[in-house]
Amino acid sequence: MNEWCREHGIARRPILSLQQLWQLAVAWYDTRLTPEARRPKPDEMRRIFAGIGLEGPFWDPESDQFG
Amino acid sequence: MDFDTRVKTAIYRWFAATTKAPAAAEIAVVLGEPPGTIRDAYRKLFQKRVLFLEPDGETIRMAPPFSGIPTQHRVQVGDRSYFANCSWDSLGIPAALHREAQVLSRCDQSLEPIHIRVTREGPRPVQVVAHFAVPAAKWWADLVYT
Repeated sequence: MNEWCREHGIARRPILSLQQLWQLAVAWYDTRLTPEARRPKPDEMRRIFAGIGLEGPFWDPESDQFG
Repeated sequence: MDFDTRVKTAIYRWFAATTKAPAAAEIAVVLGEPPGTIRDAYRKLFQKRVLFLEPDGETIRMAPPFSGIPTQHRVQVGDRSYFANCSWDSLGIPAALHREAQVLSRCDQSLEPIHIRVTREGPRPVQVVAHFAVPAAKWWADLVYT
């Protein structure tokens, strides 16, 4: 992964396991086909990410740390 | 239910039933509304980051987790074949449909094919990971790249 990122000029960033990706998919999309579904608000996003062990500025939808 | 929510729900149900993005004219028929009113709703949903539209302002490129165009991430659910926007969305489709699925994709690093069986409880284990290159605060800055 490090080599691929270097070759493509992309910063090495967080890697998720398949299980984490599934948890994210369910949290984000479980109700998507219902009228009640809506995009999570920033605080809700942070809680979803934290519940999967994803914390820090990279997972903060309002972070200004990335230019 | 407000009008934009009716349109959004109709779009998602169309995608689920047909695997394709609906044209505004098609949703207009479903809801019995003028096409121009539906196109306005599409643009509002784009502004709210519910849909991602093509530069023509009315063709749906993405209604996450569904892609309106072919991608490398194919999701087979029964006899229907969907396209997802990314690896996250490839699991998002079975999550949204509450159905078992087969995800057929490829690794961007090695170009090897990836095949994931997804049950109602989740994916069967395979040796794959997902690299998130773009921070959450920047996802919509260039959603196609993300």
